[in-house]
Amino acid sequence: MSAFKPVLTEHIHQEDCHTLSFYKSVGGYTALEKVLKMIPAEVTQEVKDSNLRGRGGAGFPAGVKWGFIPKDTDKPKYLINNADESEPGTFKDRLLMNKAPHQMLEGMIIAAYAIGCHTSFIYIRGEFYKEFKLLEKAVAEAYKDNILGQSILGSTYNLDVVIHRGAGAYICGEETGLIESLEGKRGWPRIKPPFPAIEGYLQSPTIVNNVETLSCVPHIINRGASWFKSIGPEKGPGPRLFCLSGRVNNPGIFEEAMGISLKDLIFDRAGGIPDGKKLKAVFPGGSSSAILTAEEALDVNMDFDELVEKKTMLGSAGVIVMDETVDMVQACLNIARFYAHESCGQCTPCREGTAWLVKMLTRLVNGGGTPNDIDMIFEITDNIGGLIDFSMGSFGKTICPFGEAVAWPVRSFVEKFKDEFLAYLPREKVVA
Amino acid sequence: MPLLKIDDKEFQVESGSTVLETAESNGIEIPHYCYHPALEVVGSCRMCLVQVEGMGKLQVSCNTFVGDVPPDRKVDGKYDMVVHTQNDLVVQERKNILEFLLLNHPLDCPVCDQAGECYLQDYSFKFGNAHSRFEEDKRVRPNEYLGSQIVINQNRCILCSRCVRFTQEISGTSELFVEARGYNSKIAVLEDNPLDNLLAGNVADICPVGALLSTDYIHKNRIWNMEQKPSVCQDCSVGCNVDIFSQKNQIFRLTARENQDVNGYFMCDIGRYGFHRFEEIERVSQPMARNGKSFDVLDWEEAIQKTADLIEKSKDKTAGIVSPFHTNESNYLLGLMMKDTLGTLPPITREEITYPSGFRISADRSPNLRGMNDVCGHLEEDFSSIIKTRDIRGLYILDDGVDRELDDTWKDILAKMDFIIVQSYAMTELAKSAHIVLPGLAPFEREGTITNDKGHIQWLRPSLVTIGDSKPDWEILMLVINALDKDSEHFTDLGEVIKNMSDHFSSYSDVSLFKIGAQGMALNGKSA
Repeated sequence: MSAFKPVLTEHIHQEDCHTLSFYKSVGGYTALEKVLKMIPAEVTQEVKDSNLRGRGGAGFPAGVKWGFIPKDTDKPKYLINNADESEPGTFKDRLLMNKAPHQMLEGMIIAAYAIGCHTSFIYIRGEFYKEFKLLEKAVAEAYKDNILGQSILGSTYNLDVVIHRGAGAYICGEETGLIESLEGKRGWPRIKPPFPAIEGYLQSPTIVNNVETLSCVPHIINRGASWFKSIGPEKGPGPRLFCLSGRVNNPGIFEEAMGISLKDLIFDRAGGIPDGKKLKAVFPGGSSSAILTAEEALDVNMDFDELVEKKTMLGSAGVIVMDETVDMVQACLNIARFYAHESCGQCTPCREGTAWLVKMLTRLVNGGGTPNDIDMIFEITDNIGGLIDFSMGSFGKTICPFGEAVAWPVRSFVEKFKDEFLAYLPREKVVA
Repeated sequence: MPLLKIDDKEFQVESGSTVLETAESNGIEIPHYCYHPALEVVGSCRMCLVQVEGMGKLQVSCNTFVGDVPPDRKVDGKYDMVVHTQNDLVVQERKNILEFLLLNHPLDCPVCDQAGECYLQDYSFKFGNAHSRFEEDKRVRPNEYLGSQIVINQNRCILCSRCVRFTQEISGTSELFVEARGYNSKIAVLEDNPLDNLLAGNVADICPVGALLSTDYIHKNRIWNMEQKPSVCQDCSVGCNVDIFSQKNQIFRLTARENQDVNGYFMCDIGRYGFHRFEEIERVSQPMARNGKSFDVLDWEEAIQKTADLIEKSKDKTAGIVSPFHTNESNYLLGLMMKDTLGTLPPITREEITYPSGFRISADRSPNLRGMNDVCGHLEEDFSSIIKTRDIRGLYILDDGVDRELDDTWKDILAKMDFIIVQSYAMTELAKSAHIVLPGLAPFEREGTITNDKGHIQWLRPSLVTIGDSKPDWEILMLVINALDKDSEHFTDLGEVIKNMSDHFSSYSDVSLFKIGAQGMALNGKSA
């Protein structure tokens, strides 16, 4: 395999890389020109052939998703660009919006064309105010240049893009919660079926794609599905933005081929662990993924399927590194607290279970734990999120995957670092 | 039609029906909280989880639709879906959900009004654990007023969101919403938009636990002390089906009873709290005759004889006044007696209200205007001119107990009369001006049929015991008719009156109490 050359972030270090003129100077919007001469089904097929999988967290094949849009409907179709990046340890979409907004816009227009959509939304996280202003400018530039609006680039295709700012809820990054929020309602995820591709925004067919997913699309069109598939593992190929944070010397975003080893990411790209400390554990894909022990982490490639085999997931590729100084019980409580705070409160297990976990872990940390608590944590997490069994397809006990997102990491902490939890128990109780 | 197997039973079901609906209508219990047949499915309580063969995780049965599957995907070669509601996985999951629901629930059943009709109590008993594993502090919150007549006990709330969806979808008023997030979520209203619409009382009915309470009923009684009797609301011509809860002949509350042909699942607060009207009413419980400015108490025999004598004296100059508040049978018999020289008391009308869900409060606030018109052959529209032209000197009034302000026309009419006989359960203005007062029954004591404004005929059944010497109104009329004409037919029960009535009016030809039953029937087989 030849050395990987960045695709999505190729130009981010150049001045004014966010402007339309710059983007055009490096071949921007040529993919769009090409697409406007294709029939939409061909575009979908090309993306399907590329095996592009969603970069938001679930890793669902983008082309397949587009294919779910009903062919014989009179309803308008919508494309929503999910820019509500809120997974702890993940900050890649923010970079793409900052540095390459037109790359993302081009991807959006192509996707919208493929599914026959004429109104598209960017649902951007409320806290990303700078990026919001930047996107507003980019969209205005695109309108001015006839890249958006009526008869795009002289074709018969029309598309409007609306930017909508979220109000800072983690759950609004879940696609149906996002759609509810976009409709002006409370961000409570919807029960499925119906799936958004059939009944989404305003009960019309809707596709929700992540910023990074859409940013890949122009490159697939320009260089072909087989080029894309040649990068990394065939079943989950392409360039990927890995976010390294936590106890590393050189935290940041690294664009690499899918399937790079986690060891390389941590010790080569991110420069290893400061002060010569030892690696202890890693979240491979944001805080919703089950943690890997140092041993597991050094022996795994960042590939969708391989991580599933390790009973965790690639998720949003937000790698959070913990070294030997990290107190795993405190870290676990921190994670549990985040999810209790962000639970939307709709489903019983998630609403009640997350708060129970926090109360129990807090008591444990404060020295009031009992040996029984450890077993209870397993039971509570299983009752919220179910056991990890990807072979059965979907797995949770709640409407949306939030239940799993809290259950898996918390469970993995206790499972893999049980001794540390036991050490928090008052001495006499351990003996008894 | 798809073939569905639930546990060991097979069902041919309509394509697109849900597992929960099918189970419910076939007597298989699947516990649920957030699902309500009148409201949008949200699937959030997770109580109705069942196992569907071929699906990896448990499915919420409220949102699992049964449809035809291709032959190669049929389970066991013939089923389109196979569902388990009793296996270990499902039984355990119910325990888990109930455990979560009870974490912060106060378990104050001994002082909770819902006890005895509480789904949290019932399901915990049937499906839950015997003890709690929760060792932390429970969340404690104060009670709050959501509207002038609805209080919420936040501690008992399980956030099924039925009430929120009710105000969004049924009343369309959207006062209720969920405030805050996650564990801190609670049902709330905005200060300047309290839950004070006329359907507000329904939220207490549909609350599956004791969270939403009607201030009218709070701490008044226990469900097991009361008698529950099916009845029909008589506060407007929609005729909502209700259940009346009473103890020792005192009504404590009304709740809506399902009837898809009439009111769906709900009722309005006018009817719900309307029964209090009768608590303060001055009842007439004995036959009375005027003696100067006061009344003498009579026994029934005397009273009937006196009535008959008065009418006999000026037979052609006596008119009857029927009422849209009385049953078809009473009105019909008065029509027979007066040979259709009939008028009616002024109607009671208010604003007509229709909610987005189609739920309606009729402008006509009497229960039986249509029925009265149907079974009284000829009602004089311009009654006051008839009085003049026919020189009417006596009136037999079937009074409805509504305390009307009588206008000058009516006052003139009454002043002109030689005698006025009033059949009433209450000492109304009319009764006070009567020469003879015959004590009939109050609305919830009556039995008979009433016809709503859409032509749906319903059976009004007695919910309370008769007070004093009062007699059913149709029986009093029967006695008077028999006293006037010794050869007239004597009907010994209501069924005979209905039979006779149905012989006279073709639109009522197939009406019988048996056919009406608990859900009523449409006249001529269809509601207009």
